[in-house]
Amino acid sequence: MPMTGRHPPASYSQLLFAACAMLVAVCLLGGCADNEPDDGRIHLDYWEVWSGFERDAMQQLVNDFNASQDRITINFLSVSQMERKLLLATAGGNPPDIAGVRSADIPVFAENGALTPLNRYAKLYGIAQDDYLPAVWNMINLHDRLWGLPTTPGNTALHWNKKLFREAGLDPDTPPKTIAELEAINEQITRFNERGEIEVLGHLPSDPGWWQDAWCYWFGGQYWDGEQITADAPGNIRALTWIGTYPERFGRDKLLAFQDLSGNFASPQNPFFQGRIAMQIQGPWMYNFINNFAPEDFEWGVAPFPTEKPEDYGVNVVETNLLVIPRGAKHPNAAFEFIAWMQQREHIEKLCLLQRKFSPLIQVSDTFYAEHPNPYIKIYRDLAADPRATARPPLTTMHEYQADMNNANNSVSRAVATPAEALGKVQQRQQKQFDRMQRRWNQVKETREAEWDALDQEAAR
Amino acid sequence: MTGREKRNLRLGLLFISPWLTGFLLMSLYPLVSSFALSFTDYSTLSKPVFIGGENYADMAVDKLFWQSIWNTAYFAAISIPLNLGIALFLAILLNFDLPGKKIFRTIYFLPSLVPMVCLAVLWQWMLNGRIGLINNALRPFTDFLNGAFGTNFMPPNWLADPAYAKLGLILAGAWGVGNMVVIFLAGLQDVPRALYEAADLDGANFWQKTRHVTLPIISPVIYFNGIMSLIGSFQVFAVPYVMTGGGEGPGRSMLFAATYIFNKTFRSLSMGYACAISLVLFLIILGLTLAATKLSERHIHYEGK
Amino acid sequence: MKSDAARKTQTICLYVLLVLGAAMFLAPFLWMVSTSLKPLNETMSIPPRWIPSEFLWENYPEAIDEMRFFWRYLGNTLFLCVMTVIGTVCSSAVAAYGFSRIEWRGRDKVFILVLATMMIPFPVVMVPIYTLFKIIGWTGTFKPLWVPTFFAGAFNVFLLRQFFLTLPKELSEAARIDGCNEFQIFWHVIMPLARPAIIVVALFQFMATWNDFIGPLIYLNDQQDMTLALGLQSYQSQGGGTSWNYLMAASTLIVLPVIVLYFFCQRYFVEGIATTGGKG
Repeated sequence: MPMTGRHPPASYSQLLFAACAMLVAVCLLGGCADNEPDDGRIHLDYWEVWSGFERDAMQQLVNDFNASQDRITINFLSVSQMERKLLLATAGGNPPDIAGVRSADIPVFAENGALTPLNRYAKLYGIAQDDYLPAVWNMINLHDRLWGLPTTPGNTALHWNKKLFREAGLDPDTPPKTIAELEAINEQITRFNERGEIEVLGHLPSDPGWWQDAWCYWFGGQYWDGEQITADAPGNIRALTWIGTYPERFGRDKLLAFQDLSGNFASPQNPFFQGRIAMQIQGPWMYNFINNFAPEDFEWGVAPFPTEKPEDYGVNVVETNLLVIPRGAKHPNAAFEFIAWMQQREHIEKLCLLQRKFSPLIQVSDTFYAEHPNPYIKIYRDLAADPRATARPPLTTMHEYQADMNNANNSVSRAVATPAEALGKVQQRQQKQFDRMQRRWNQVKETREAEWDALDQEAAR
Repeated sequence: MTGREKRNLRLGLLFISPWLTGFLLMSLYPLVSSFALSFTDYSTLSKPVFIGGENYADMAVDKLFWQSIWNTAYFAAISIPLNLGIALFLAILLNFDLPGKKIFRTIYFLPSLVPMVCLAVLWQWMLNGRIGLINNALRPFTDFLNGAFGTNFMPPNWLADPAYAKLGLILAGAWGVGNMVVIFLAGLQDVPRALYEAADLDGANFWQKTRHVTLPIISPVIYFNGIMSLIGSFQVFAVPYVMTGGGEGPGRSMLFAATYIFNKTFRSLSMGYACAISLVLFLIILGLTLAATKLSERHIHYEGK
Repeated sequence: MKSDAARKTQTICLYVLLVLGAAMFLAPFLWMVSTSLKPLNETMSIPPRWIPSEFLWENYPEAIDEMRFFWRYLGNTLFLCVMTVIGTVCSSAVAAYGFSRIEWRGRDKVFILVLATMMIPFPVVMVPIYTLFKIIGWTGTFKPLWVPTFFAGAFNVFLLRQFFLTLPKELSEAARIDGCNEFQIFWHVIMPLARPAIIVVALFQFMATWNDFIGPLIYLNDQQDMTLALGLQSYQSQGGGTSWNYLMAASTLIVLPVIVLYFFCQRYFVEGIATTGGKG
């Protein structure tokens, strides 16, 4: 028979005791969140998406700002996946005063009334359109209003390995300017070993495959013509047809086997650093990776990515990080003071130097490029200043659209669909999505505009 | 109601009151509100707008939704029995009184503790088509078959091939059975030694003892692990998310229901639609749970009922 | 009865199986530890490199420095772990008792509700829950991260209920005859016998809190209030890749206490109660 009325075994009391002891210890270690100090200053919350050295860079600027005056203190919080936090906090009516977001986030946030329009503020502080690179300025404006001010932009360009060019008997300082030239070089550089496996490739669109949705830009294609979705525009189809030639020319299994030997992008096994791929599309950050992972004697160059038609040469896709004031922020005026302070040339340049990016401002101080660690930074900057610099369209459905385009690309690479079929499906789906969004936007448009006007009036005071 | 029944009801409610309070305060409202929101157009950031059954009508013709449900069902159908089987097998092995058993028990639990990025890196290597451990093990077999029968079998390129990506994911998922093993091990402690001794006297072999003594006694725990992996598999998210780098896998083969819900919530801000999908997923899981409960009722042996 | 030779073969077979499996299951951990000692450019090689060319022990102190608030984060995390484990064990054991050892009308139907709360995907309930905590003014504090555990989570209630149901009914009846009330039965009869399961629940809750990323991300607003799981983000950057060696060094530091805890907890839940003759 089981025994009853037994006392709980000693281990429970022991555990309980241990738990209490730990609790005391932990409280001493300091587990409890403390409140804002009452020092007469306005305390602003600023949330950012950066981590690592990029976060540290902004932290320095925040410290500078806090030290530069005695009315405002910024409490800087930077964690990756901050977007999710921001979304919930804004939805819950508890947003930070300042948030760092990406240009791609503007349409969704703005059209849902989650941002404060900044036009009046900008006017008040003398911040004007002609201070900024046009591509960047276009990105931060939507529905004739200004939604944020940029911190650090980025864009895309061709990166090539000069040594591989030389080995193939090519001029290492003449990068291709058209897709046809790129493919000619590709043929010349690509080598097979005695077992018939690919040893070196000139170019492979799917490595590392970060812009698989956006090849259309280099073929004169586009996502959207300003009115309608254009997923199956002729340029888009030509871009995918080009993608489809890779498995045809090199063999799908061989390409897969080649990629199986490629390691992580951020490692010395990146095929570009290993000299297994001669040309890659990348951006200003590539300098950091080369610095960390490429061999000492790695020789590289940067140029605009080749285009199908020579007259398009200079096309590139620009994005930017920016500072916004979420709607419902407690101290919008003080928040804009910080944002405006960041836009001063010396401050933005300090941030860009620390983050190794280029400045979104047109005016650049004489020493900026000399001080900049990346020797090619001006090439990126000039590309971003090019009238052909473009951005992904400001659609609220963009994330899904990109996923669909990626999938179309994947289907064509696996030869399970023709470019026209794959893009036809995307067109159908995305036009439907777009129409619905448009319908809904039209329903709330007037309310929204009125809200924005009211907010703008408030800002003026 | 008799006095005893009344007393029991009061006592029962008293004991479950911590859960009940939490349920009323923190679960009921979100559950009801997500149900209500499934009939709205709701972006999370602005007020929901009632649109009737539009989300459900859209869902019926949304190919991605159906694909995600199919992928999820496929994944669950294979991974639930596989993981249950592996976990039970391991737990029985680890319950033997072998030297070093403590170390082994720790080792089999380790992958549940290691951060997911470590697992992801190793999965990607193991499932690598050319230099992966799994294909290196398979290659002698395919070579033999090809040599003997003139066929042209190739070990698959797991993660690049829509036909195999989910299988790769399922294999990788088997690393995470540690939690289940721990629960089984705890359950195995409930099997009274006396029963084994009695079975020994009857001349039962290991298999018979497992079948007629161990399994019936731990059946409530098997049921627990089964239901939990049912609920878990139908909401599989983290592992494929890490493995595909937040994408959908080749040919969208790794687009699972929870992935789709996540994308709709955080990327497109279509919370209303996400709620509608969640509700359908909820009904599927609930239906399967009730069915599994009904079907297994006869086989579960509760000493306390 | 089996011959000794057959038994021996059986044991050897089991051993071989266990060792082979163990190699597979040990691999991720070994890789983590070895990566934590490597120079950065060896970390991500394909195929993996198991032994670093040189052992960089300084990765550990450097990783701690790089996280900036390591000790503070450790304190926060421990605080949350202790609170959530206490909350979970107290509340879910009581609730599970109510769902298993007392027969009241509608019990099993209500229990379906317990299960149902686990079937709604997290993303869609996040906004209402966040809003709730905002209304009572708890965002930016630790409370949303530990107070809810005092309201019995479904997983733990389910787990403990299953275990309580394996205990024979006669136990409670005998106790009742001895004059115990329901709470005394719970505390003096059931809890001691369910110790393996209680320890498992405590362990899982500890791990869940220890590794929770999304909760602290959502509710905590100060860099210094973060937890270790969030601190691991310090080693990644958008434009410079990940410092894998530091990340793994910090991960190792974070995982080790849990492994040690697990190793020693085993005693409580694996070499458990059955041998003491509690039932049968």
